[in-house]
Amino acid sequence: MSVVNFIIQNILTQASVTIALIAMLGLILQKKSAGQVISGSLKTMLGFMVLSAGSTIIVGSLTYFGEIFTEGFNMQGIIPSIEAINGQAMNELGLGRDIALTFLAIFVFNIIIARFTRWKYIFLTGQAILWMATMTTVFGYFAGLRGLALILVGGFIGGVFAVAMPAIAQPFVRKITGMDDIALGHFCTVGYVFEAGVAKLFGEKGEKKKSVEDLKLPAQFEFLQDTYLSLMVVMIPLYIVTAAFAGEAFASELSGTTNYLMFAFIQSIQFVVGVYVLLSGVRLLLGEIVPAFRGIAMRLVPNAKPALDCPVLFPYSPNAVIVGFITTTIGSVVAMLVLPAFGLAMILPGMLTAFFAGGTAGIFGNLTGGARGAIIGGVVHGFFITLLPALLVTTFNSMGFVNATATDVDTVTSALLYAWIIGPLLKAL
Amino acid sequence: MKKVNILFVCGAGLGSSFACQMAAEDVLSKLGVNAKLDHSDISSAISVKPDIIITAQNFRSQFEKFSVDPKQTTIVYLKNIVSKPEIEEKIAPVLKEKGVLV
Repeated sequence: MSVVNFIIQNILTQASVTIALIAMLGLILQKKSAGQVISGSLKTMLGFMVLSAGSTIIVGSLTYFGEIFTEGFNMQGIIPSIEAINGQAMNELGLGRDIALTFLAIFVFNIIIARFTRWKYIFLTGQAILWMATMTTVFGYFAGLRGLALILVGGFIGGVFAVAMPAIAQPFVRKITGMDDIALGHFCTVGYVFEAGVAKLFGEKGEKKKSVEDLKLPAQFEFLQDTYLSLMVVMIPLYIVTAAFAGEAFASELSGTTNYLMFAFIQSIQFVVGVYVLLSGVRLLLGEIVPAFRGIAMRLVPNAKPALDCPVLFPYSPNAVIVGFITTTIGSVVAMLVLPAFGLAMILPGMLTAFFAGGTAGIFGNLTGGARGAIIGGVVHGFFITLLPALLVTTFNSMGFVNATATDVDTVTSALLYAWIIGPLLKAL
Repeated sequence: MKKVNILFVCGAGLGSSFACQMAAEDVLSKLGVNAKLDHSDISSAISVKPDIIITAQNFRSQFEKFSVDPKQTTIVYLKNIVSKPEIEEKIAPVLKEKGVLV
């Protein structure tokens, strides 16, 4: 009995061990050699702990930013970063183990749904599933679910999203790629379809439709494809301007002997360092799990269609990606300024999501509404993907998250499903 | 036989480069090539100095700005980064040139 208790209290409570065991299971099921099983499991564990270290860096920088923002603008500024939410939920709230198990449960439900329905999508974007598992766990926990129920409900909802979202996007993806072999597996699909709808309404129609691919775009924008570079381009002025508004007297208290603007500059880079480290951890973490899942799923589900990360579409419409990124950023800046007037929090532009979600949405908008559709649709898309996370801020604050909210509208939608439907239902029972 | 180092690159080094790596793995095992595969983001890619970099077409102008020694690293651009026929068609000549495929 004491052995069992030891296992439960000391091993399974360690999220890094849980996730390493999941990877080990996947490697054993693929009949890998003992050496490969051991090295794969250890690398997965390393990945998880690198991810946690990245999260600590992000939280440190965000705490500083929160203080100068509140001082400078007299309101709370929220940075939309699903990475920050994930890190805080895993470390500070101690939900790491539940997130790891929900992550596994989403894979399992995905395979079951794809096996027994006509929607044969296998969702292979590991980090998106990790973010989905984070949100269902955090909001399920907040709604009062615990233990097995928390994991199974989260796994089921995540599994449904993992099949439904590629299915919704597929009619568009088929037209973009000109084939039906791959699907889009990225939890921002609600936003893509939304932009496609807006672009169809307001864009060019029929013969007059002009694709943005026929336009010549200035080459200066191409550096934005370098994720960390574009993140720095935004975070540096954001921190420095905020520190300037907070004033030398206040900001110097935080910066010690360093000049307060210099300190803000270093902290802005520190935020990007955190994202870099965290995503390197995710890369290590998923390196063994995703191929295992792919191997198992492809064997169990005949005619499975892999749903892949959004940049798979980028080479088909590179101009639309840039247009989508810029217009989505404009839309999120508009939302940042407008939402506080309606009593919502001020959400700062989240550059990672503006690039990946905005770029993909641009491709959808260009497809249905041409250049005009992509531009109008992009701005509305930027507003839309800022509005939804703004609705979550109060809940996040009451749970103790620091100055951050989620991104990726599909995961936000699943969170709202918990907050507005599942939570009240549980309370009524 | 010599082991060839191949790096798959995308913006964040997470999703699409990894998908491309998994597709290429199937192609390489079909060709019987022994390779070490990894994926990364574009900022880190240059310092790795692999034998071959495989990336999507939309990164071409970015890579052209970097100083990559063509003798050391060959860059392959793909339109559909998960298409096994396209990967095979474009990578086979490079592998022959590197002396790992006859």
